[in-house]
Amino acid sequence: MAAAESSPLTTHVLNTADGVPAAKMALTLHRLDSKLMIWNMLSVGTTNKDGRCPGLISREAFTPGMYKLRFETGLYWESLGQTSFYPYVEVVFTITDPEQRFHLPLLMSRFSYSTYRGS
Amino acid sequence: MSAHRLQQLKGHILPEIKSTAMAGSLSPLTTHVLNTSMGVPGSNMALSLYRQDLPTNAWSLITTGTTNDDGRCPGLITKELFTSGVYKIRFESAQYWASIGQTSFYPYVEIVFTINDPGQKYHVPLLLSPFSYSTYRGS
Repeated sequence: MAAAESSPLTTHVLNTADGVPAAKMALTLHRLDSKLMIWNMLSVGTTNKDGRCPGLISREAFTPGMYKLRFETGLYWESLGQTSFYPYVEVVFTITDPEQRFHLPLLMSRFSYSTYRGS
Repeated sequence: MSAHRLQQLKGHILPEIKSTAMAGSLSPLTTHVLNTSMGVPGSNMALSLYRQDLPTNAWSLITTGTTNDDGRCPGLITKELFTSGVYKIRFESAQYWASIGQTSFYPYVEIVFTINDPGQKYHVPLLLSPFSYSTYRGS
């Protein structure tokens, strides 16, 4: 996986039900191949103790296009011995200017979630 | 042919329950779209409801619809068809923002959820702005 500081795309997962970062959540980053209309997986990671996952993508690989972050939220809640309404969360977003930084947090509980474009 | 394209074609061909939303008041599954950046309902937004088939894990299209003036879409599914399983609502959010002259960070929003007890009522709202969205299980 690419060196941490340089990922232009970052995420942060927060367990808003318990007021803690969501640690050890598996996630994957994909880019859409718009000719073939299929998703290519770019990286796999797991959130650290702070709910972050450095090194999602390198500057070189971060080209304009449609991306998807898939968070294995169902597995996360299961690991805490709980059920959840959502088996996973996928956030699909469009990058037109890859020179910028993009921060995509996920705030979630067992029965709700939200995301936004942050900094 | 890609899996996605095949799924799209399958959705058109299946004689099922497809097309426009079904008779209103009785849907055990409802949604409500709110445009939080303007403080108005998200009206005239296209959406579709899918159920995941087992064992193929392919998505079957159940209904397509468009939100009304109040951001709601009655008649998503009937009690009879609402069986346990994994469902997905796909909201054509970028088309919605484009129709009011704005761009958006998200080309669409898909919310995937598990129904274990189809005897209950499920309300899956979507609150959105061009750069954020949230959802919850409501009543």
